[in-house]
Amino acid sequence: MKKMKVPERLEPTIKEIKFILRRIKDSPLSLAGIALVSAFIIIAVFAPVLAPPKPGFNPYLIPSDPSLGFRIEPSPPSPNHIFGTTTAQRDIYYACIWGARWAFQIALEVIVATVTVGIVLGLVAGYYGGFIDELIMRFTDIMLAFPGLILAMTLVTILSQVNWQTIDAVLLSIILIGWPGYTRLIRSEVLRIKNEDYIEAARACGASDLRIMLRHILPNAVYSIIIVASLDFGSIVLTTAAMSFLGLGAPLGWSDWGRLIYDGMSFVSGGLRWWWSWVYPGVFIVLFVLGWSLLGDALRDVLDPLYRRK
Amino acid sequence: MGLREYIIRRLILLIPVMLGVVVLIFALLQVVPPERRVLVYLSGNVRELNPTVIKAFIHQYGLDQPVWVQFASWLDQLLHGNLGYSEYTGPVLYNLIRRAPATIEIVIYSAPLIILIGIWTGVNAAVKRDKPFDHASRVLSVLGTSLPSFFFGIALSAIFIATLKWTGTGRLSLYMDSQLTALRTVGQWHDYTNLITVDALLNGRIDYFIDALKHLVLPVIVLVFINTATLVRVARSSMLEALSKTYVIAAKAKGLSQKEVVYKHARRNALIPVVTLSGLIVGGMMTGLVITETVFSFPGIGRWAADAAQHYDVPVVAAYAMFSAIVFVLSNLIVDILYAYIDPRIRLG
Amino acid sequence: MEKTASDEIVEVQDLYLNFYTYEGIVKALDGVNLNIKRGEILGVVGETGCGKSVTGLSILKIVVPPGKIEVGKVTFNVKGKSYNILDLNEPTMSKVRGRYISMIFQEPRAALNPVYSVGYQIGEVFQHHRREEIIKTVIEQLKGEVEKTSGFKRHICKIQLSLYERMLKNPKSLRVRLALKTPILKRFQNRMKTEIRNRTIELLKLLRIPDPERVIDMYPHELSGGMAQRCVIAMALVAKPMLLIADEPTTNLDVTVQAQILVLINELQKELGSSILYVTHDLGVVAELCDRVLIMYAGNVVETADVMTIFKEPLHPYTQGLLESIPRPGKPFTSIPGVVPGLINPPPGCRFNERCKYAMDICWKQKPKLVEVAKDHYVACHLYSGGK
Repeated sequence: MKKMKVPERLEPTIKEIKFILRRIKDSPLSLAGIALVSAFIIIAVFAPVLAPPKPGFNPYLIPSDPSLGFRIEPSPPSPNHIFGTTTAQRDIYYACIWGARWAFQIALEVIVATVTVGIVLGLVAGYYGGFIDELIMRFTDIMLAFPGLILAMTLVTILSQVNWQTIDAVLLSIILIGWPGYTRLIRSEVLRIKNEDYIEAARACGASDLRIMLRHILPNAVYSIIIVASLDFGSIVLTTAAMSFLGLGAPLGWSDWGRLIYDGMSFVSGGLRWWWSWVYPGVFIVLFVLGWSLLGDALRDVLDPLYRRK
Repeated sequence: MGLREYIIRRLILLIPVMLGVVVLIFALLQVVPPERRVLVYLSGNVRELNPTVIKAFIHQYGLDQPVWVQFASWLDQLLHGNLGYSEYTGPVLYNLIRRAPATIEIVIYSAPLIILIGIWTGVNAAVKRDKPFDHASRVLSVLGTSLPSFFFGIALSAIFIATLKWTGTGRLSLYMDSQLTALRTVGQWHDYTNLITVDALLNGRIDYFIDALKHLVLPVIVLVFINTATLVRVARSSMLEALSKTYVIAAKAKGLSQKEVVYKHARRNALIPVVTLSGLIVGGMMTGLVITETVFSFPGIGRWAADAAQHYDVPVVAAYAMFSAIVFVLSNLIVDILYAYIDPRIRLG
Repeated sequence: MEKTASDEIVEVQDLYLNFYTYEGIVKALDGVNLNIKRGEILGVVGETGCGKSVTGLSILKIVVPPGKIEVGKVTFNVKGKSYNILDLNEPTMSKVRGRYISMIFQEPRAALNPVYSVGYQIGEVFQHHRREEIIKTVIEQLKGEVEKTSGFKRHICKIQLSLYERMLKNPKSLRVRLALKTPILKRFQNRMKTEIRNRTIELLKLLRIPDPERVIDMYPHELSGGMAQRCVIAMALVAKPMLLIADEPTTNLDVTVQAQILVLINELQKELGSSILYVTHDLGVVAELCDRVLIMYAGNVVETADVMTIFKEPLHPYTQGLLESIPRPGKPFTSIPGVVPGLINPPPGCRFNERCKYAMDICWKQKPKLVEVAKDHYVACHLYSGGK
């Protein structure tokens, strides 16, 4: 018989990990996704190194180049400005790099908030059922009746009347349109897991509701949450970019990819003449969302027992 | 349960959701202080009214009453068709109706294309699994979900409008548009449907038909490409699942040809969830319209809402939000009924 | 091995089948040999995963990827000629399936398409395999009507008659295909459809289905398990096949229903004279129904003999173990120690070697061949193949 180098207890886990790694290796799309996401993480983390900010200023504000004047017309790519400049000679390369960091910041803030709310409401609704479940579900139904972007637009418009900053309003709006989705997801996971035998067993041992929810149900729902959250990274950034594109997002001069495209749109009438002002930020958005989509798919292939071994 | 009972039940369930939609909008509107809100009811130049005048109007329109009274009267106004007044564009309902045909025209061309292309591609990708067609369609559909519609629109606009000058923004070229006003005055053009392509044919003017069509091409391409992506994925996975079912093997064992097995047996089952998803996608097109109409300066309700949002024009945006929600909820209803009709398991209980 | 060629309708020789999965190549069938004689009921017995279902599917050449038939011969003899199924192309196979060889399945409601009525699905088989017969009947009907009626009606009948005759002569004729698509003209099909419907109702009656006029329009989910299975059997018997492959058709049914279906199968088999390949893991069913039995283990045939011999004188250790483990009052429970080996890396030699109490050295080195030990009694075991 074979000699075992690994303690017997861990062998199934090792086998599982090997299987996962092999599946990932076999799928070029998964590798692409991982590569893209890693690249963006590196860019975001090393933004201060890759594009040093002006001291004393908010790093998210794109610096203008005084040597080129403050001309409205964008300047083409040059050794000083690898991606060229946009209106008022703001450096696009800087904006794209810090835009990555900004994208992560927004996405993380939104995801943390929406997942938390989703977990709380989803657990309560799914576990206790009955009236409180109906209440929560009707409310999510109503919120989900509105297409996301449009509700966000409405919220931002209304909050402007109470003098909110657009960036904060956008953040809040995206959180408010995001939590119903997670609530539904977690609730359906809870309903699925609730009927498993081990929950019954835990209850028979006298475990409290909270303990069951947190230690037994939640860990089993984690996989779905991870898969949806990784796809959400991409869609949140798309929504923020769309909001900025409509003029409702980041203000002028902020390193937000959507905002750059909004600024660049005034130059589209010149055709491809000032292409760098909107192509570069657009490509960044596409690659970012693409990376997270592929990663989400890869995670689903690997983590979701239904899709495995197909 | 029977189809009729099912429909009635769904219609009844519709009411609380519609009510909720309306309540939510109302609640959001309440966030805005009364001084701003009252402006919705006033037409004309409202910016320089002094505070006492405003206070009088607030009282006149009952904006200082308790919340439920306000809600009742607001709802009453709503049901009588008064959606408020926008300081930039005038009466809200009037604008909604006047600008709707442009949007409807886009939807009429996009929706069937989305459904047909999405389903055909998804089904064939499943049938030819792991072959080049499958890989190509997967790449395109992943791209479709990652590409921001505005970026795609701008790129197409830069290439085809600004550079190649094949078409332009708006519904008609400038020349044709100005001609049109003249034609109308002289009585040589009748607006039967307000859809330019249809009216052009009805008026016997092929040149207008072609011009309007040219201007529809780019917005439709953007909408179709983005929305087909999700449909292709779902159609593909639904078809793959249907193909793995026992009845497919049983059909083959009966001696049916591969073609019959795939298209008569598997596909029918695969299409059930897909058809319903198509309905939802079309119902949810409102978002895409906002962006696409803005990029191509198409004078529909989407662009109207986008412009309004930029100016923080609350009544318009709120009205558009309500309208979108109602469209979505109704399309959900239609889709559910369709589902019950197609799937005998639901229809016959 | 002495066989009379006219006796056998299907013969499987040295069939190897693999499944290509992520974890490796599953060697599911490892040289399967079997034959089925005319009019006999052959039981194929084995545990889950031993390859019995896949053998049935291979005979029909329906192998679902990731499975692949590696090598082997599946001969089927009809009308004096012999064909290797594995060589036949798809269009030819679709003439064989459902007509000469058909299959019934374990889960009846899964084998039926949920969106079509059962009548429609049975009708499909009529359309496919008994088309000419039905068209001829309709033509006779029409000829009769042409004689009896007059005027406008007669004219219509004559048009329909010509269309049907053309359909008979040349099924793909352009005129017929066009007629099938034009709105009013295509109604001429209705005669054929009615004829098919009538025959379906007759068939349902034959299968002892009560109230067939109602059942014919019902959907699979509306039927009970037993009724659904009868419909599936009906579908399989439309063309009066030579061989019916039954893949555990009663396993998922209630015991009482199971008994009814078995009786039904028995009777129908006697009436039609078909052979049945009955796949099961239930030895009780085998004892009741089968003429001959084949025991399979881990992708191999280990023993085959007529049913009495198998029960009275089982030779292979696995067969003996199986019979031992049938619970009997007063006898303590026994089972065969060990588990079925994984088929990605099966043990060398005889696949039963790990669990066999008689295992010898040679059992780990060489795979035993199926050898005739007594008249029509074959065993694949080194205990018996000394010399031959």
